[in-house]
Amino acid sequence: MSIHLQREIDNLKRDLMLICSIVEEQVQKAVRALFARDAELAHEVQAMDEDVDRREILLEEECLKTLALHQPVAINLRQLIAALKINNDLERIGDLAVNIARKAVDLASAVTVEIPADFLDMSEQTQAMLRKSLDALVQMDVALARDVCICDDEVDRLKKKIRGQIEGQIRDDPERTGSMLRLLSVSRNLERIADCAVNIAEDVIYMVDGRIVRHQTD
Amino acid sequence: MRRRRLFWQLYPATLLIALAALAVVALDTTSSLRRFYLDRTAEGLESRAHLVEDQIVPLLVAGKYAEIDSLCKELGRRSSTRLTVILPSGKVVGDSLEAPQEMDNHGQRPEVIDALDEGKGHSLRYSQTLHETLSYVAVPVRSQDKTLGVVRAAVSLAVIDSALWGVRKHILFASLLIAVVLAVASLVIARRIVGPLEQLSHNAEGLARGDLGRRLVAANSKEVGDLAETLNKMAADLEDKLATVVRQRNERDAILSGMVEGVLAIDAEERVLSMNSAAARLLGVDSARAEGRSLPEIIRNIDLHKLVAAVLSTHQPAESEVEIRDREPRFLHAYATVLRGAAGGRPGALLVIHDVTNVKRLESVRRDFVANVSHELKTPVTSIQGYVETLLDGAMNDAAQREKFLKIVAKHTERLHAILEDLLTLARVEQEGEKRDLLVREPLRPVLEAALGDCEAKVAEKRMRVALTCPAELMAALNASLLEQAVVNLLDNAVAYSAEGESIEVECIEGEREIEIRVRDHGCGIAREHLPRIFERFYRVDKSRSRESGGTGLGLAIVKHIVQLHGGRTAVESAPGQGSTFSIFLPK
Repeated sequence: MSIHLQREIDNLKRDLMLICSIVEEQVQKAVRALFARDAELAHEVQAMDEDVDRREILLEEECLKTLALHQPVAINLRQLIAALKINNDLERIGDLAVNIARKAVDLASAVTVEIPADFLDMSEQTQAMLRKSLDALVQMDVALARDVCICDDEVDRLKKKIRGQIEGQIRDDPERTGSMLRLLSVSRNLERIADCAVNIAEDVIYMVDGRIVRHQTD
Repeated sequence: MRRRRLFWQLYPATLLIALAALAVVALDTTSSLRRFYLDRTAEGLESRAHLVEDQIVPLLVAGKYAEIDSLCKELGRRSSTRLTVILPSGKVVGDSLEAPQEMDNHGQRPEVIDALDEGKGHSLRYSQTLHETLSYVAVPVRSQDKTLGVVRAAVSLAVIDSALWGVRKHILFASLLIAVVLAVASLVIARRIVGPLEQLSHNAEGLARGDLGRRLVAANSKEVGDLAETLNKMAADLEDKLATVVRQRNERDAILSGMVEGVLAIDAEERVLSMNSAAARLLGVDSARAEGRSLPEIIRNIDLHKLVAAVLSTHQPAESEVEIRDREPRFLHAYATVLRGAAGGRPGALLVIHDVTNVKRLESVRRDFVANVSHELKTPVTSIQGYVETLLDGAMNDAAQREKFLKIVAKHTERLHAILEDLLTLARVEQEGEKRDLLVREPLRPVLEAALGDCEAKVAEKRMRVALTCPAELMAALNASLLEQAVVNLLDNAVAYSAEGESIEVECIEGEREIEIRVRDHGCGIAREHLPRIFERFYRVDKSRSRESGGTGLGLAIVKHIVQLHGGRTAVESAPGQGSTFSIFLPK
């Protein structure tokens, strides 16, 4: 393999990791803004999204350029394809974090609503999944990536539970329906972030093993 | 280029040269031997011809040709020589082997011409008569200056060659013998030259692989021996230098790992060159895995990356606050400078990282404390001020209003008093901590019983029950009055946040290294996000409710201080709606 290609891939990897760190921070800040009712922090998350979008496009262009220029094969090809897909997922996660931040702004200005206790669990689970999937990406660790896929069920279960709780609260106190619906949307966003984390983990498995493990029920 | 072995350069060459010399000598010897032998033969033939000449002269003069022929045959048989007598005309008159009449004219034979012209003729040629190669010598027969004829003596070369062959066989045999000896000798010599060199190169390979303790054996020849010694010296020097490098690296590593500050060296490509253990701990990464990887790979932190990117692009020192959002969030202060000459080429960056988590927390605790204490004190003072002013403005003339307002003033005064009391307690606890003989080894149970007694009135008011489980023999190093205060505070909270009729359990559990005093209620519980800060001064879970319930916001802070004086720690487990468990751990 040419040294040039290796250098390109190293650079791409570094840029991807940068996007990872920004997106991870976005999610953390969005969740913190939600719980702390901190509108300022939420605005910060929204501001960060511009950077993510710009970097996403740059990375995609670099990936395509490398593909066209070096015509890599085997592991290098898989790395580039996975980088493209992960890049996409990361940008999506960033958008979801921005969604959560918007809801956090709304909720911060609204009347205090009690955030169901499971919300903290769910957000922690989701963040842990994201962290794990990114760690798996850095370390090329298939075992860790598989772990992420398993965690997804727990997040889905929590989401269902939270949905039930929110429905109950709306019945008890219809005046807070707006806030409750916002919370419901936050839970949906969190669940989607978890799904994106699973996608990243699956791409990691693909990158290392060359096997596509999507849509498998084992 | 494929390099041939020295042995194969040396051995065939020497062998070839030796064999060529041998061959030249052998060929030269045999050819000069042959020449010598032929010369001798020719001389013999000449003398034989002269011998015949003397006998032939009278017969020639007499013209008795038949007798000449028979004499030739007789003499030829006896001397194994072919003898021929030829008249100057070329006519053969006698021959030892053939009948002269049948022989052709010999006047044109080169030896005969030479003999007639120069007095002697010699030639080596094929005989038409006998059909074989012969050596001929011819001499003229003279009498009184008159040439009567020519006597020719000849010997077959086959005879000479067969004689020579014997000699040649000897020479060939000897040559072969010498060749074999040469082959063996040059093999031995080549081996003796190449052998030590091979050994040397084998050992030098060992050196090159890093087996520096290995020493080369000095070979017998001076040049190779010198080379071995030079290599040995080089290896020793190298070993020395390596040892120095290793020692310096170990020293540097020891210094770096002994530092509290994290140190992180990064090259121009943002790859980690090295990091000390403090940096690994502060950043929460595995240092063994980090080296050689790029910074974004090992730690996903955008602030840190921005700092590094700024230093790498501007080559100016920079600093920034970095928040690590791990399981335990940490605040770091990172100072980055340009790192030149570490990896050659473009300069990298050197990060020095301080942990400022505690400083940050203390800062926020102090800020919160000042804000809280003024707020907490201000609330009752404002109320008192308002009601007193109202009273002065005329309300004191209305008996009913007066009493109501004064009661409110009294309540707030009480509250003010309680806060001041707690603040004083806190100050006292802090002062007590400076005393030496603070702790006395005492049974624990009486302290807990006293605390329960203090709270009896409040417990009874809410119709609650307190269950105490504590082995009477359990001893601990404690300060009875302070610990009693701490337990009372915990019980107060448990009572305040429980519904009427609930129960409270106080338990003592003896662990391996600690004694745990556990106060468990079945009240409203505390949400998880409040738990880490609940022991802070004036920290309130619910800002409105706890003030109504009479708390000052200092109770748990006092508990924590007291327990710290005992060298122990506090812990809390709680979930909303499921009650809370506060634990005091005292060292045994």
